[in-house]
Amino acid sequence: MKHALLAGLLLLAACASFKPQNPPLAKYAPQAGYRFEHLEPGDNSDRLFVILTFSGGGTRAAALAYGVLEALRDTTIDWQGRRVSLLDEVDVISSISGGSFPAAYYALRGKRIFDEFPEKFLYRPVQSELIKLALSPASWPKLAAPAYGRSDLAAEFYHREVFAGATYAEVIARKARPFVILNATDMSTAAQFPFIQDQFDLLCSDLAGVPLARAAASSSAFPGALTALTFRNYAGSCEYRQPAWVQLAAEDHASRANARRTARAENRLSLAAAGPARPYLHLTDGGVADNIGLRGPLEAIASVNHPWSVLQRMNQKKIDKLVVIVVNAATNPATGRDQSASVPGLVDTLTTAATVPLDNYSFDTVELLRRTVEEFDADARLVEGCNRLAARKGEQCALRLAVPHKVDLYPIQVAFDYIAAREERSWFKNLPTTFELPRQSIDRLRAVGRRLLGEDPQFQSLLQALGGCLAGGGRTC
Amino acid sequence: MEHVRVTFPTVRLVYIDGEESGNTNEVLRVDAGTHLFALGNLANYRPASRKVMVRDTTALEPLQIRFFRKDAA
Repeated sequence: MKHALLAGLLLLAACASFKPQNPPLAKYAPQAGYRFEHLEPGDNSDRLFVILTFSGGGTRAAALAYGVLEALRDTTIDWQGRRVSLLDEVDVISSISGGSFPAAYYALRGKRIFDEFPEKFLYRPVQSELIKLALSPASWPKLAAPAYGRSDLAAEFYHREVFAGATYAEVIARKARPFVILNATDMSTAAQFPFIQDQFDLLCSDLAGVPLARAAASSSAFPGALTALTFRNYAGSCEYRQPAWVQLAAEDHASRANARRTARAENRLSLAAAGPARPYLHLTDGGVADNIGLRGPLEAIASVNHPWSVLQRMNQKKIDKLVVIVVNAATNPATGRDQSASVPGLVDTLTTAATVPLDNYSFDTVELLRRTVEEFDADARLVEGCNRLAARKGEQCALRLAVPHKVDLYPIQVAFDYIAAREERSWFKNLPTTFELPRQSIDRLRAVGRRLLGEDPQFQSLLQALGGCLAGGGRTC
Repeated sequence: MEHVRVTFPTVRLVYIDGEESGNTNEVLRVDAGTHLFALGNLANYRPASRKVMVRDTTALEPLQIRFFRKDAA
């Protein structure tokens, strides 16, 4: 009888229809929704434009990112005649997976994160609680449904226990910077999927109705351990109009002028294809597309065709200093593989195949940031050099070439690779990727995040330029 | 990164692909590819917009994109 009842329940659940957690958008409204330009800058000036990126890496990444947030809070600078906290100047946070939890919490609660987040998430045995929940017979009927997976269960847990039932409507209502972008990956196109209204416009969906927990769960749906999350695509139902650049870029296939821009345009066209061509989207961990969350910011820096283009603002001479702080919790766990002649097993081989390309891609992404900064510097130096050379030949030879608006760039990196002591570096690089770490490990991660930020040469240059200091750092405050 | 200089006898806002992106007669940065340049909704300039492929420029030699007053020869 008991078994029959259970089987009946499971059958009922399996037949249950999919209930989308992302509501439709009645009409495309570019003046509404979660968009960078709708956030009140307050005292946060664009002249100093600060972007943070938080990588994936479970609780390890969350704690490292949290430590950097604490350090930015405790860093004061002289800016526009006031003594301000550098944290108040942060304009954008782009996050992946574990890094998405402090990012989302900061978007929702602002500085209350420093009172609430450690106990709500960092020090909590989230992984054990999730496993307990998945093994509970009460969850089985839901888990038996084809459109409901372990990540849906995790999203409900985060919704209840971490984000107190908040949706993006509450983040929008704060109208405050920073613009926080949680990133997942579209499984079918392998493209990054940012949780911002510009992206949800393509689906004719209203991000305001999406639980913050669902965005965090999508961003951290580590393949295998967690399932992808399903979103409904209502494309074609809201009179959406693509921005002008999309059609122009889509016509550039043959010219090969900018393959990346063309691919971005095609991705937008594919998501917004009426019908819709893809009625459902399946989002997995943001780390699959970009594990450090830097690709979106790089596009914003190098393209005028971006929902929060930094390049447009540079052309408008609104930005004088651009700071990009990359918080990367990547590890490189030691392996005993090469101590034995045995052929590596299937799990070892598959794990290597899944993680090595991501790590290499992350390395290339950081290199791309360095090259972009060099390109900006080289352009400015070249024109200024020509003007100087010509001027030396006499006034009659003066060129007075126009110079693109000069922006001082500060690429800052917080990563375990920069820990000087081998033993300490090795300890951090062998921390596991899990949603549960001992309290002492969390404390060490918070402290090392602060220390590595303070030690970064570019961060020190920034502090020097702004008369700044990090409390507890090298310079006296 | 590409560079353009949108020229006009006076200072005007430059719209690249419909978005405000700097002023005329200044060197502007833009990503490579086909872009649509315009000077906004004022009707006293010609052409109304210019669709241009931007590539292979340098900061020293930005691509010149010319607009004129409507009443000019």
